[in-house]
Amino acid sequence: MAVNWEELKRQFEEKIACADSLNAIEQVRIDLLGKKGQISALMGQMKDVPNELKKEFGMAVNTLKQSTEKMLGEKVEQLKAAAIAQQLKNESIDITLPERTRHYGTLHPLTIVQQKLEDIFMEMGYEVWEGPEVELDFYNFERANIPADHPSRDMQDTFYVDVTRLLRTQTTAIQMRVLEAKASDLPIKVVCPGKVYRKDDDDATHSHQFIQMEGLVVGENITLGDLKGSLELIARSMFGRERQIRLRQSYFPFTEPSLEIDVSCHICGGKGCPTCKNTGWIEILGAGMVHPHVLEMAGIDSAKYSGFAFGVGIERVAMLKYGIDDIRNFYTDNISFLETYKRFE
Amino acid sequence: MIVTYNWLKQYMDLSDVAPEYLAEKITDGGHEVESWHYQAVGSNLVIGKVLTCVPHPDSDHLHICTVDTGEDVRQIVCGAPNVAAGQKVIVALPGCKLPEGEIKSGMVRGQQSDGMICALFELGVDKHYLTEEQLSGIEVLPEDAEVGNKEVLKYLGLDDVIYDVSLTPNRADCYSMWAFAKDVGAILGKKVTLPDYRYNTELQKADLTVRSETDKCPYFYGKVINHVEIKPSPLWMQQALNAAGVKAINNVVDISNYVMLETGQPLHFYNLAKIPAREITVKTGLNEMYTALDGVQYHVSEDDIMITTQGKAIGYAGIMGGDDSKIDDETTGIIIEAALFNLVSIRNTSRRLDLFTEAATRFAKGIDPLAAEKAVERSTQLLIELANASGIEETVICGDPGYLERKIETTAEQINTLLGTEFTDSQIYGVFESLDFQPKSAGRKITVSVPSYRSNDVKVWQDLSEEVIRILGYGNIVSTLPKMPTTQGALARDGAEKRTIRAMLNGYGLDEVMTYSLVSQAKIDEGVLSIGEPVRIANAISEDRRYFRTSLLPSLMDVVSYNQARNREEYGLFEIADVYSDDGRQASHLSAALSSATTSSKWQKISENNDFYTLKGIVLSLLDKLGYENSRIGFRVPEKENEVLHPNKSAEILLDRSVIGIMGVSHPLYNRKYDVDTCNLLELDLSAVLERKKGKIRFTTVNRYPSINYDLALVVREEVSGADIVNTVKKAAGSLLKNVEIFDVYRGASIEEGCKSVAVSVVYQSAEKTLKESDIADIHAEVLRQLSGKLGAKLRD
Repeated sequence: MAVNWEELKRQFEEKIACADSLNAIEQVRIDLLGKKGQISALMGQMKDVPNELKKEFGMAVNTLKQSTEKMLGEKVEQLKAAAIAQQLKNESIDITLPERTRHYGTLHPLTIVQQKLEDIFMEMGYEVWEGPEVELDFYNFERANIPADHPSRDMQDTFYVDVTRLLRTQTTAIQMRVLEAKASDLPIKVVCPGKVYRKDDDDATHSHQFIQMEGLVVGENITLGDLKGSLELIARSMFGRERQIRLRQSYFPFTEPSLEIDVSCHICGGKGCPTCKNTGWIEILGAGMVHPHVLEMAGIDSAKYSGFAFGVGIERVAMLKYGIDDIRNFYTDNISFLETYKRFE
Repeated sequence: MIVTYNWLKQYMDLSDVAPEYLAEKITDGGHEVESWHYQAVGSNLVIGKVLTCVPHPDSDHLHICTVDTGEDVRQIVCGAPNVAAGQKVIVALPGCKLPEGEIKSGMVRGQQSDGMICALFELGVDKHYLTEEQLSGIEVLPEDAEVGNKEVLKYLGLDDVIYDVSLTPNRADCYSMWAFAKDVGAILGKKVTLPDYRYNTELQKADLTVRSETDKCPYFYGKVINHVEIKPSPLWMQQALNAAGVKAINNVVDISNYVMLETGQPLHFYNLAKIPAREITVKTGLNEMYTALDGVQYHVSEDDIMITTQGKAIGYAGIMGGDDSKIDDETTGIIIEAALFNLVSIRNTSRRLDLFTEAATRFAKGIDPLAAEKAVERSTQLLIELANASGIEETVICGDPGYLERKIETTAEQINTLLGTEFTDSQIYGVFESLDFQPKSAGRKITVSVPSYRSNDVKVWQDLSEEVIRILGYGNIVSTLPKMPTTQGALARDGAEKRTIRAMLNGYGLDEVMTYSLVSQAKIDEGVLSIGEPVRIANAISEDRRYFRTSLLPSLMDVVSYNQARNREEYGLFEIADVYSDDGRQASHLSAALSSATTSSKWQKISENNDFYTLKGIVLSLLDKLGYENSRIGFRVPEKENEVLHPNKSAEILLDRSVIGIMGVSHPLYNRKYDVDTCNLLELDLSAVLERKKGKIRFTTVNRYPSINYDLALVVREEVSGADIVNTVKKAAGSLLKNVEIFDVYRGASIEEGCKSVAVSVVYQSAEKTLKESDIADIHAEVLRQLSGKLGAKLRD
């Protein structure tokens, strides 16, 4: 009995190649290698092969079996890979569809500015102090060198509660408390942020409630030059390294001399633009050397100690920094407005 | 405060000082020039004469005029109703730039027109100072106006420059043009010469009684001038007053205003004939109606300082005189008043009457104690000169300015130390000299005498340092940093905790808001975590802002409502702010509002429902983060119902058994009140939280042994709470209990009516060994026994 082994191998090869799925290849495997498959059938023919040819026949069947197994294995791997490839293809998504939003909240822009200022001052060794918004006339005015008949009470329309209490009109009230608390624990180096209230009608540039931050430094030999140097550092931290400052004469009852501080415009760099009203300068801080009466009233020897103080409006800084044109935005809390400020900066 | 270039020019040489430069220097010297402008403008003007004037054939109001301009005769079409042949007029020639635009030659309804005949307002003159006649027609110049004169503005006295200066409260002295000129002189380094107001007239013995019955009028100067002649004041005075914003009336009234502007001392002139008793008494306590010279009737209140004669009010002291005794064309004699009235009183009366006159402004800011005398003398001199005054009596003075000249001693070193400058003795001395402080030096010491008009402001040597630096210039200051011991920066009390809270809530998606502290009575009443009785503002702007808030949620509801009205249905908001009570307590509160859903993907339809438990999770994690572990926190049904929260979906939050906050789902009626959808609300008393002791971070060995987990399905009655089950398990299980957790709550067909099935996971773990079932058999049996015994719980089959 002659078997054409080459032909058989070719037939097997063709069957395997034709299988186009894992199911089909399994059927081919059963047909070829199963108990009742073609290879088994050939094995069954062994008994009819003459003895001298048995060895040769056996080797040929074995070779055919091995090559078949090899071909089947390769084909299975091939089909599995194709199946995975097909699965992946089927699973493809449109990556341009919208994400599942991870919403994160925002700090209020005034908090952002206040915290940034607090950080600048803390790095310079200032302690942050707060105080009551419902304040005594004593700390808001009397101690700040503004007695009852003082003309500058006209400058600040005050919300009064009764004869002794009012809503503080200036964070100077906190400074006066600090002076008293630390009179025997000098030097003083503090900033005092907080809400203040003035009897103003609300419009684009006025608010009956706003936030101030004042700073106070008291020690031996503190000079107006020290004030200028300190404010220069602060202006640069807030508005950029290139900023210059300019001092102008002003008046506050609790400082002498008193100054307005202008910062060179951060928008145009001083060339002139609508933000600085074409002056190149932006008025941003009030400041001065602490009035000797203010020190004396708090129990500090004004012959030995001197100090400087300064104040800034948080809304004003935020409006300048972000180009906000209406102060009422801060208190209307339109979420779209607030969320403008959520990014780290 | 209005200051004019021409006025200052009377006192010093300004020939090398341009108007713009003057504005800059005044500002640098500490008096901010807020704005400045030319009184009138017009570059190519000439005085002309109208030769002929005929109606325009194609118009019912235009005229065709021929005008002689001195150099030529030209045709001009003019629309003014009052134009007529023979008039001397102001002609704007082609090329002339006026506020409204440039004049050009052209055709007007078919007629050539080579210029414009002008009205004053067309030259930019403030309409406030013009008469009806001047506003409705061209300006007709006097007969003697010289045709061909091109200096028209100068001819009109309209060539002035007007500065609007913002004076700081300490420099009220500059409401006197004389004091202001002194200051400008010092700033510019110019010699200032003020008018000499001596006069040479024999005075009659005074026939006038002046009394003050109130301490609100410390002194009063009165002077009778028996004869004056009323007529228009000279052009120079009218022009000066107009430029300064004061309307010219007649010579006598104009003098009172002019001298007030010069000296800063408000003056009042009474018609002598209307005070026949020749008696003036200043008093308070009147209560009557009174007609002031503006013709308006005012109700006099008892605190108002009044000028009276024979018990009858004739003037609001320091604010406005009476209609009855005012100077009119018939006046033949006057009484001059120059006095001091209490500034607080004047301020209050002015405010009540809403009557802020030039006089009241000056009194309210404080005046030179020696100005009364100067003003009386200067007025007398001008009355003699300009109103033929005669029968001049001696001045009658009641009270006394009590003025003592102040001397202050300082040294250059002292001033330089404060300023951080290196000015020389002579620079500093020079500043004092220029300001008329009459410095005297002895060794290194400089002693100055403060002029009376600066006595309200310059009191100590530090004030002198300000004079030095503002006159020598702030540009001289070199930047340095304080030389002092190093100090450590620190946040305010609770500052770090508040920053943590903000960051955490931001992480949960909540936006921070800020709202107004002042609220209405209604908002106070809504408070669910009120600190107490509210602080009431006595002089509130409106009832909407009458109280300082005692809690925060009602304000936050406005923000929710505002945003929802703008289609923001999903939001998370919070605010941290302080609340106050009338009895002096203060606390920081936190309010939060969370919409009932948070959608993360619309097209995938993924949306998280936010409810009571969402907010509860936020509260617990927040408190945990701050150092208050969940075992210290409790929730209980609020004792009192409120209009804000759903009565059965709200809780008081307890920390160590005391209430620190309240939270819950919004009440349906409250939603309707603010027109919002159901949301979740929270208010926490942060101060009450943060004053409690915080848990510390402590290392514990990581447990290496496996745990054993039992799941129990219990059936309990509805009223048994989750906390009841958890607490019972905790108590019964003892120290081997690692965790107990409810993982399912079920009500349904297979469960008896009025009951619910609660699935609980109980985890046991030992720190010492691997637990065997037998180790915890007894414990677990005890857990089941107590659940059954205390709560009536049955194991579900």
